Amino acid sequence: MAVSQPTPVETRPGRPLGPRIWRWVIAVVILVAAAWSVTGLNVSVDRLLNASGDAWNVIKRMWPPAFSIEIKRGVIGKVLQSIYIAWVGTVIGAILSLPLSFLAAGNVSPRLIRLPIRQVFNAIRSVPELIVAVILIAVTGLGPWAGALAIGLHSIGTLGKLSSEAIENIDAGPIEAVDAAGGRWISAMRWAVLPQVLPVVVSYWLFRFEINVRASAVLGLIGAGGIGSELVSQLNFRNFPEVGAVLFVTIVAVITIDLLSSALRRAIIQGGAGPDQSRSGEALEDLTGMSLA
Amino acid sequence: MIRFENVSVTYRGGVKALRNLDLTIEDGEFVVVVGLSGAGKSTLLRVLNGLVPATEGSILVDGTEVVGASARTLREVRSHIGMIFQTFNLVERTTVVNNVLMGRLSTVTAWRSTFGLWPASARAAAMEALERVGIVDKAYVRASNLSGGQQQRVGIARALAQNPTLMLADEPVAALDPVTSRQVMGDLQRINQELGITTLINLHYLDLAQEYGRRLVGLNGGELVYDGQIEDATPETFSSIYGREISSTDVLVDHDQS
Amino acid sequence: MTAPSSPPTTWPTKPRPRVSILIGAILAIAFTVYSARQVDMRFSTFADVWTNPLWEKFWPIPWEWVFDRRNVINPLIETFQIAIISTVIGCSIALPVSFAMSRLTTPNSVTYYSSRVVMNIVRAIPDLFWAKLLVTAVGVGAFAGSWALSIFSLAVMVKLFSEDIDGADPRPLEAAKAAGGRHIPSVATGVFPTVFPAYVSYSLYVFELNIRASLVLGLVGAGGVGRVIEAQRQFFRFGRILGILVIIFVVVVVLEQVSVAVRKRLV
Repeated sequence: MAVSQPTPVETRPGRPLGPRIWRWVIAVVILVAAAWSVTGLNVSVDRLLNASGDAWNVIKRMWPPAFSIEIKRGVIGKVLQSIYIAWVGTVIGAILSLPLSFLAAGNVSPRLIRLPIRQVFNAIRSVPELIVAVILIAVTGLGPWAGALAIGLHSIGTLGKLSSEAIENIDAGPIEAVDAAGGRWISAMRWAVLPQVLPVVVSYWLFRFEINVRASAVLGLIGAGGIGSELVSQLNFRNFPEVGAVLFVTIVAVITIDLLSSALRRAIIQGGAGPDQSRSGEALEDLTGMSLA
Repeated sequence: MIRFENVSVTYRGGVKALRNLDLTIEDGEFVVVVGLSGAGKSTLLRVLNGLVPATEGSILVDGTEVVGASARTLREVRSHIGMIFQTFNLVERTTVVNNVLMGRLSTVTAWRSTFGLWPASARAAAMEALERVGIVDKAYVRASNLSGGQQQRVGIARALAQNPTLMLADEPVAALDPVTSRQVMGDLQRINQELGITTLINLHYLDLAQEYGRRLVGLNGGELVYDGQIEDATPETFSSIYGREISSTDVLVDHDQS
Repeated sequence: MTAPSSPPTTWPTKPRPRVSILIGAILAIAFTVYSARQVDMRFSTFADVWTNPLWEKFWPIPWEWVFDRRNVINPLIETFQIAIISTVIGCSIALPVSFAMSRLTTPNSVTYYSSRVVMNIVRAIPDLFWAKLLVTAVGVGAFAGSWALSIFSLAVMVKLFSEDIDGADPRPLEAAKAAGGRHIPSVATGVFPTVFPAYVSYSLYVFELNIRASLVLGLVGAGGVGRVIEAQRQFFRFGRILGILVIIFVVVVVLEQVSVAVRKRLV
């Protein structure tokens, strides 16, 4: 066969127009939305230009962090209190969400029970912890217990949703085997379903704990105790070296817990077939409560 | 004794899986059910213990009516019927003995079994059942660490732990290699002979049916098309059950060697 | 049973539970009990809470107040504006940073490690800590909130997206480099097209996260509808807060439906 001649330019396929138009439309929409958003910030050019300088100034004033003062003020105890709040909240969420997640799973629970429980999960997930805490603090009084309750309540929603989805993904064969042997529903859940989902569910609990540590730190900002309260009191007096120390302690605590918990999760899941997804997918699911698929 | 009278099963969506089936099985029989996939073999077994509800007719299992029975009666009937599955249906993440104990669930109160407080008699029954299929040494091994043949033996042990009077086996060897298939079929035959448990087995492979079966039941399109002794069945019998010529995929041995 | 069964002595005995699991369980229970004492856990709360006279203040919801534009709707719009601008800024900066943070596409190990360390530290600080810090640094209002969420969404985005780049097929990049391409153009032609869909889908997620976060920014003075909640709770106007809560609830639910629909179209 002879070497083919280059095709004449006018007969070559042109770049398709459709996708390009869409690309431009989307780009323009994003730009307009961004411009509109900037108008909402009520910020003068002057302030915009000074802002990064102001922020840098604050960072500079945090150095060197006033560790000795903060240690005397009990910063370690306060960060531990945030961890206790997160842990108690996670335990509350785990204990209450586990039975509910069986009742919310499509493959083992009848529609009439399943749908209302799912709605409760969705409703709980829709209200941010912080707002739950605002209300709880009003009726139970300021303090860590209100924070733990708020975190626990929110965790019921997120853990319940994830766990019921894990139950929906199991192999139904063992349930059939229990039915065929004359076992009751509760026996099928305990012996056919629970062993299949427990490792996955426990890893969700640990992952939720990692998230809850951040949440409980934040709850301190509105008076639920812990490291957040310390940050607020130091920021209000503009004691920046102390703020630096508080931030440092927070960072160390959060990173340490993330590392410990993710190592533990890997060890638990390793034993068998966990959900086959990347860690970031898992993170997304937990943050938003929605699956990537 | 099991008696089907005019039993029909229509699935949601209108698929008729069984049509006006009449069949009587005496105690201690070893019955092999053959037919193409979709012929209603699996439904025949599942309608017997109520996993699939019959839409009409009557099924008597040792004198108890299964069709339209209450949940309580069904559990009682099922507690005497062992079932073995094509896909084993084991919980792979837990130990062999926990899987076998699932066969004792009907004898233990719900709260005891939920907290794992099995009575010594249940544990002994589970171990005896494992012994009978020759894998008692694997009792505390995770089921996922067993080979396919061993897993199906756990499935048989789980059924045996029920002390059943009737054993249903739904394509028990379809997921196994030829050598293991024969071992498992041998186990089932031995259990039928030694313990006198009535046994109903769905099979696809004709040579296995001829080798191990005594009575042969043929289904086609949900209808009973053959019922007789296995010795009387000829190649023509099988082609009439299957509605086509017998091919190499219908026998276990040949297509693996060719 | 007709066949003789061998004596139970040939049966294996139940193995003891593994020591590590036992210790782990004891530690977990002990830590739970200790934590419960530390947070002043009281079961009586569940009994007392219902008789609290404050509940009466939650009802009725003053709807005419809630639907007055100035009270809730305008701050809600501000919330959306904060979320949009933070998503645009955070995700734009995240694009180059993610490539620097992936083993596959990083230009050199100094960039790789330094960007990882910085981003991990940024991510370890909770979003509202950033908001509170920036309110102190640049003043109360939506401007501080946008800063905070831009920083936080940058940190979340690079974490998610750089893992996707790590998992991308390395062969097109090798091919581009083998053809003599410089680093950045090679990445742009060899890796970028394969990971771009993930970038878009993560951006949508980050947007959703930002909306949820921006609803509460106001509680620390960083703008949006949260500042209304903060102001009303000072005066125990819980009926109004409940009204806002209903609106937030509707927004989150609608948002979820929209984002599910959009993502379905993308995939």
